[in-house]
Amino acid sequence: MNNKEELLKSKEERALEKKRLKQEKYYMSSQWQLMGRKLLKHKLAIFSIVLLGILYFCMIFSDFIAPEDLENYSAKYSDSPITKIHTVHEGKFIGPFVYAQKFKFNDYGQKMYYEDTATPHRISLFVKGTPYKLLGFIKGDVHLYGVKNEDGTPSDVKVLILGADNLGRDMFSRILLGSKVSLTVPLLGTAISFVLAVIIGGVSGFYGGIIDTIIQRIIEVFMSFPTLPLWMALSAAIPTGISVTNVYILITIIMSLLSWPGLARTVRGRFLSLKKEDYVLAARLAGVSDFKIIVKHLVPGFMSYLIVNLTLGIPNMILGETSMSFLGLGMRAPATSWGVLLQECKSINNIANCPWKLIPLVFVAITVLAFNFLGDGLRDAADPYK
Amino acid sequence: MENENKKILDVKDLKIQIKMDEGLLTPVRGVNFSVYENETLGLVGESGCGKSLTCKAILGINGKKAHASGNIDFYKDGEVMNLLDLKPDGEKIRSIRGKQISMVFQEPMTSFSPLFTIGSQMTETIRLHITKDKKEAKEIAIDMMKKVGISNAEKRFTQYPHEFSGGMLQRALIATSLVCHPRLLIADEPTTALDVTIQAQILELMQQLQKDYGMGILYVTHDLGTVAKICDRVIVMYLGKIVEMASVRDLFHNPIHPYTRGLIGSVHKIGGKKERLFSIDGTVPLAMNLSDVCGFEDRCTSKCEACKGCEPELTEVSEGHFVACYRGAEFANGGQKNV
Amino acid sequence: MSEVILKVNNLCKYFDSKGVTIRAVNDISFEMEKGETVGIVGESGCGKTTLGRTIVGAYVPSSGSAEYRAADGEVYDLSNIDKKKMKELRKEIQMIFQDPYSSLDPRMTVFDIISEPLKANFKLKKEEIEEKVKFIAEKVGLKTEFLKRYPHAFSGGQRQRIGIARALVMYPRLIICDEAVSALDVSVQAQVVNLLKDLQKDMDLTYIFISHDLSVVEHISDRVGVMYLGRMVEYADTASIFEKPMHPYTEALLSAVPIPDPDMNNERIPLAGEIPNPANPPKGCPFHTRCRYCTEKCHTEVPEFREREKGHFVACHLTDTSMIKGIVKPKEGM
Repeated sequence: MNNKEELLKSKEERALEKKRLKQEKYYMSSQWQLMGRKLLKHKLAIFSIVLLGILYFCMIFSDFIAPEDLENYSAKYSDSPITKIHTVHEGKFIGPFVYAQKFKFNDYGQKMYYEDTATPHRISLFVKGTPYKLLGFIKGDVHLYGVKNEDGTPSDVKVLILGADNLGRDMFSRILLGSKVSLTVPLLGTAISFVLAVIIGGVSGFYGGIIDTIIQRIIEVFMSFPTLPLWMALSAAIPTGISVTNVYILITIIMSLLSWPGLARTVRGRFLSLKKEDYVLAARLAGVSDFKIIVKHLVPGFMSYLIVNLTLGIPNMILGETSMSFLGLGMRAPATSWGVLLQECKSINNIANCPWKLIPLVFVAITVLAFNFLGDGLRDAADPYK
Repeated sequence: MENENKKILDVKDLKIQIKMDEGLLTPVRGVNFSVYENETLGLVGESGCGKSLTCKAILGINGKKAHASGNIDFYKDGEVMNLLDLKPDGEKIRSIRGKQISMVFQEPMTSFSPLFTIGSQMTETIRLHITKDKKEAKEIAIDMMKKVGISNAEKRFTQYPHEFSGGMLQRALIATSLVCHPRLLIADEPTTALDVTIQAQILELMQQLQKDYGMGILYVTHDLGTVAKICDRVIVMYLGKIVEMASVRDLFHNPIHPYTRGLIGSVHKIGGKKERLFSIDGTVPLAMNLSDVCGFEDRCTSKCEACKGCEPELTEVSEGHFVACYRGAEFANGGQKNV
Repeated sequence: MSEVILKVNNLCKYFDSKGVTIRAVNDISFEMEKGETVGIVGESGCGKTTLGRTIVGAYVPSSGSAEYRAADGEVYDLSNIDKKKMKELRKEIQMIFQDPYSSLDPRMTVFDIISEPLKANFKLKKEEIEEKVKFIAEKVGLKTEFLKRYPHAFSGGQRQRIGIARALVMYPRLIICDEAVSALDVSVQAQVVNLLKDLQKDMDLTYIFISHDLSVVEHISDRVGVMYLGRMVEYADTASIFEKPMHPYTEALLSAVPIPDPDMNNERIPLAGEIPNPANPPKGCPFHTRCRYCTEKCHTEVPEFREREKGHFVACHLTDTSMIKGIVKPKEGM
């Protein structure tokens, strides 16, 4: 009896000790740890992080995951719809396979695809195909899935899980490979405008006076331009003959040039309000130098806000790149991005007959939404002291 | 007092719970009190003792996260209704809010919308509860503004909140809350944001208006000075419970609960001896996962064995003087006090 | 008492905003001795915070001087001093802030907050800093294991202790407490007031205690200055100010303070109107618009701030001040 009581007591004590430790851990968590805790409670933001993680993971390994490269033209598959994946052939289960697509012309001269159910083509994993360089330096020719001939060589039967474009190329491959542009331009662009914003906004907010006034007027001028025409003008100035990489860099720069003013404003505003905090005055009175005050008190003070703003700014960049490429002013074929893919949707005919060509739009929308939700979650978490 | 005046409000075993990420917070843990006509009841306590939540529960404006249980009986023309049973956005509670019970907040600046004139915000209440007529409403409003000492009321009527000083705005807020002659006025730290000279004006104004209209006032504050000045009875709250309830004289001249004594001892009386201030050690614990012991046990200098048991009940030690302390009776009869 | 540690002469601080000059601190003079506490009282907008911040060097005064006798015995004019010397004097003059929330950087641990002044001013070894911080933390009643925590772990009273530790870590001589206890709960206020008094004895500190709370000021101060609209209207030792005030504003202010005793609430001397706009103060005596003893002279002439009785300075035209009432002393034994 006595023993039992003691045991109970020690159990209680242990629980209390555990709680105390948890509390202590909370007390010793820094701003970023607190932010992380709060963010973890934001379910939509976590879901978005996972989703974005998958998207970026697929982007990195796109050459491997995509069954083809960008130049796998095939007249046989031009405008082919989504390939159906079967498992049962003539009443027998033989695992996932596809039938080859055949087509005939109907009375109106339209291509009508039908399945040639004579021979099943089994889908296999790790199929040899067109060679690629993963991340630009890892050579390989194995693709995640595909159809191979009896002797192991790649077959010309395509598995088009998202249909094909008018040149018979696999949409899924193109979307994956296009994400290399569509998902990185915004990140790079944001990074550039981040640096610009911190420097320009910081100078403006810290020094104030005439410098502040001049910078603010410049920002206002920048912000008063209508964005789309300016993009168009700037990208029209990109010469046609230059390489894909250069186009990519130029577009990133154009995107970031137009987005820093808003961020710089945020930085300046935070700078001004933080400057008035008592702890900054306390540091000054303690004899801490201006530079140290900026680095130790001011910059960490607005970093979380800036990250929120950056995250919320990414969707704009994605949309911007997409619209520019859609208008033919951004990336140009043979390079591809989601905007380039959507170019085919310019005609109603295409949309009516081949609705799968709108699928890149779904990717754009999902990415934009995910970044927005993530930004929302970050915003709620940004001030963990409330 | 009970015989002379009619009861307006009866709060019975009010509990408020708030669900937080860290656990269940119980900022108000069973509070009982009544408010009568013509009296000012002070509700005193430090931040986090649950005094503001108690007031807001009466008006049903605590929001969805806070769950209130118990009874808040409101007496009206012989009828009794439990305010907690009413839907927080329903017709019935809205007809009581503003008309029967109104509230004055701490920050007059945030109580008015900066986009509308004071006049239009005042007449809004009048037109909702008294008369639909615009002209008549304006007359009533200007009349009330004059009563609370706003000079040049006609001109002030058309001005915006930012054109008012803090003290004037608080007067306007009081005018707005009294315009329907409520039977109960809840004042939540109405003078804390104001300067002493303005505070004195506002307190006197409230006393005067009470004489004129006979309403009951529930006066919430942490400032013992204002309590002594305007209250008839006082409730002292600690950690979501009433620890002492007495007439203002009894409370200040014969405080019994160790917390009350500590609180009074920690305030320097102007002109008094310059002794070292008494201070209560430690800090107020968070009202979460509390054990059964007396809430003040860990900070108390007069604790005994019984305190480690269950929490003491509020008991009457002398007429009208209630204390929640195991040694209450002992202290009331002149027992050894450590303060 | 002994030596004068601070002598403020005709100190002024004006702010210009949108073409309007606000005289936040207007022609203030007073002196204080080492080891004493001078309370500065007044209502919001009277310029008491600006006065404190000007003395501590956060603002550059518009005119006037603040002569400070440093530890080395030299007298320096804080309003006119080179940066290098000022940085040295910063170690001797420190400040405690009102808001325990905005005065601590939420991103730094308590140790970093308290050690910041040390790191900025001295080249010390890590162990030395640690030792000093621990010592001072214990002195203000903070457990040393709290040093690893961040400010969000603490309540208002404990945060104020951290702020006090930061101010004390360089062993200053003069501390400006700007509403240092106003944001705290009553019982915590008492803890901090007691702590400040203990530290004063312990570390030989001189305080300028700025507050709107007259009872706290009476409790802690040796001398009190009353400010109104940027000017000091009365300056004397605490007992004289509270018992025999000579300025009508002081009288009104004192009568307005509610006393925590239901039998003792004195008759309030009504104060007509409200504080005038500091951007547009009345001509003549700034208080004349609300003064019940106002005469013709008050409308036109600014009264001189002069010594009426020994150590009792007043700025008022009244020659006979016998009708001005102080506080009612509470009965003994209560």
